[in-house]
Amino acid sequence: MQTVTLVPKEQFKISIEAELITPDNFAGKSNTEIGVLIAYEGNTPRPLSELFDIKVDGSAEGADDVKIEIKGSVPRVKRIGEGMTGGRILIDGDVDMRCGAKMKGGIITINGNADSWVGQEMTGGEINVQGDAAYYVGAGYRGESCGMRGGKITVFGNANDFVGEHMCGGEIIIKGNAGILPGVSNKGGKIVIYGNTDMPGSEMTKGTIIVKGKVADLMPVYQREGIESIDGEEFIKYVGDVIVGGKGELFVR
Amino acid sequence: MSELLIKNATVYDPINGINGDKMDIAVKDGKIVDSIGGGAQTIDAEGRLVYPGGVDAHTHIAGSKVNIGRIMRPEDSRSGIKPRTKITRPYTGYTVPNVYAMGYRYAEMGYTTAFEAAVPILKARHTHEELEEIPIIDKGGLTLFGSNWMVMDAIREGDQERLAAYVAWGLLASRGWGIKIVNPGGGEAWGFGKNVSGLDDPVPNFEVTPRQIIRNLAEVNEKMNLPHSIHLHCNNLGVPGNYKTTLDSFDICKDIKSKRDRQSLHVTHVMFNSLGGNHWGDFESKTDVISDYLNKNDFLTVDMGQMIFGNATTMTADGPVQYRNSTTFKARWGNGDVELEDTSGVTPLYYSPQVYFYGVMWAMGLELALLTKDPWKVLLTTDHPNGGPYVNYPEAMTLLMSKKKREEEIAKITEKAYDRWHISGIERELDWYDIAIKTRAAHAKVLGLVEQGKGHLGIGADADIAIYDIKPDETDATVEYDRVKAAFRKAAYTIKGGQIVVKDGEITATPMGRTYWVRTKVDNDGYNRMMDDLKFKFKNYYSVNMANYMVQDEYVQHPVVVETEYAEV
Repeated sequence: MQTVTLVPKEQFKISIEAELITPDNFAGKSNTEIGVLIAYEGNTPRPLSELFDIKVDGSAEGADDVKIEIKGSVPRVKRIGEGMTGGRILIDGDVDMRCGAKMKGGIITINGNADSWVGQEMTGGEINVQGDAAYYVGAGYRGESCGMRGGKITVFGNANDFVGEHMCGGEIIIKGNAGILPGVSNKGGKIVIYGNTDMPGSEMTKGTIIVKGKVADLMPVYQREGIESIDGEEFIKYVGDVIVGGKGELFVR
Repeated sequence: MSELLIKNATVYDPINGINGDKMDIAVKDGKIVDSIGGGAQTIDAEGRLVYPGGVDAHTHIAGSKVNIGRIMRPEDSRSGIKPRTKITRPYTGYTVPNVYAMGYRYAEMGYTTAFEAAVPILKARHTHEELEEIPIIDKGGLTLFGSNWMVMDAIREGDQERLAAYVAWGLLASRGWGIKIVNPGGGEAWGFGKNVSGLDDPVPNFEVTPRQIIRNLAEVNEKMNLPHSIHLHCNNLGVPGNYKTTLDSFDICKDIKSKRDRQSLHVTHVMFNSLGGNHWGDFESKTDVISDYLNKNDFLTVDMGQMIFGNATTMTADGPVQYRNSTTFKARWGNGDVELEDTSGVTPLYYSPQVYFYGVMWAMGLELALLTKDPWKVLLTTDHPNGGPYVNYPEAMTLLMSKKKREEEIAKITEKAYDRWHISGIERELDWYDIAIKTRAAHAKVLGLVEQGKGHLGIGADADIAIYDIKPDETDATVEYDRVKAAFRKAAYTIKGGQIVVKDGEITATPMGRTYWVRTKVDNDGYNRMMDDLKFKFKNYYSVNMANYMVQDEYVQHPVVVETEYAEV
């Protein structure tokens, strides 16, 4: 087991592209080896040791045995855990955009809030956001045909608009409320919203959206297919979006 | 000034009939010379392969449709990223790269000239703004005339002098090199949501047929004595059974003679126009019929439009085709209306080897090149980025050079394609000399650039030279295709105008290339009739003022102007 502790040396003002902070990159590396890895602060390449105090305990053969702890809030550090295949990342505060993008395995836990595109295009693994998440949870990059394809994202707070846009698989759970158009253009996967939302699932062709709270505005593109019970709770089932010939399933109360 | 000597080169220069001779090449002031004094900078090629700099006669590298592709595909810019260096700006993109990468990637492959194949006059200023920013390579643009109101009105009224005057004016206005015709008449019909169905289907409101448009522009092209022939994208592209339209289109120009040593018709990306069958169910390759025609006739040339599996961004002035593509494949759709001149459409597609019609179309480009005996008649292109990006030319080269490589690729294609193509039975493997023809010599000849010093290494030619890390004597391209492909992808040296611009596949200098265009003198009364008509059209129909329409010299900073004169044949 290898534990890597990163403590930010300052409150960063310029955003940092930190796709190198992954268990895969850190596995088996010593303090100095991790310190010389380069992250971009704006357009300036900077070694990680200039940005963080780094402490390494133990060693690991592969990503699965690595645990990265970021002690402190890093609201300007982007792309943490990008493409990781295993291991754990624990962030003791907020993170910037695209945390866990293209992630394939492992667990990321964010104790604060996550900015937009958390879990962008992830194919496996798990992300837990204890606070709120901003826009495009589990969505895709602009123009990409699929967002999330697998894995699971849980947001314990609220999420903003376009949760799971272009999602093709996997599962997103929002314990709080979600903004407008969750599951827009969906092609698969499952979204469960415990709180309220607005205009769920327009243009969806496949996939499932379950809203346990209130739906302020249901888009008139769904066909009602009766009452169905999920885990002992009764929902009205809708199928659509009929305009795009969709077979997506939308459950609301 | 600058002198350079390339020693111990194994040279393939088909225009001068040099086939793998061991020789030295001397360069002085950007030109190939007989000999130079001692003390010049020397490159020892150590017997490696030396070609003239590559020439691409049909590609889409600049202009509004490329930009529409960039805007509509932000995800494309995620690939191909390379940070800036002290010499180069950053690279981004694959099918629609940024402007700088366009030039760098051509140069890295040993290409030094590329011609943008569709420039609407109205959008020519934008095209030249981009061309002026594409580093290293020499450029030119082919101007669209196939659905133009001025052209169709002059043809209907049988006034060929007026037509010639307009073409000359259009080439001047767009700083263009030649006449491009895309789906003749179809672009205008698309303004009304229609298309023309064949060569004798009249264009709505103009009462001229695609046949008349092709014939008249081909005749005028020769009377104007332009360096390039007409450059035709046939009607019915991508429609099963369209090979008949293609053959009929060939026939239109059969008796047209050129004063120059070149074809009188160039038909582009013929792969998309060699489809047999009546619908996609019984669709099959008819490249055998097309190649047979090419084998029997010498007045025309074609290019492959080779398909490359993976991402492509299709972009063309053929608006109706793109609407069909976007609805069939539920793909994004960009549609453009170029006022009195043409239409355009942009649609991203993904070519999967598991889809049988893509599999067959992949084979068809290769079949055209391999079934046509004379290598000068079929140019190697991918119709970048329609069939696939030009960075895949090395892939296409190795497919032509190695049957084993083709078999390896065929194994990845769905078996549903196997009984619809001819590729399986083709044994032919091209050699180094054939590839030199298909990637530079024939391109230069077809475009009329040989006398401008392109596509060959004769005395007085431009010192555009590519040295590849292959020793032809010791390399068997039929087996070592991976190594050959890697070598073609990253030239050991690219020399542009006597300057080393690429060494070991990395850019070392970024001089600015030139832009070729043609000015034709039309000295008869047709010019006055044309101007009257033109003024009328600007006053009544165009959204821009005539005074603001023409591309000014400021937009073409490095011009090479070729002068010709109109004469009745």
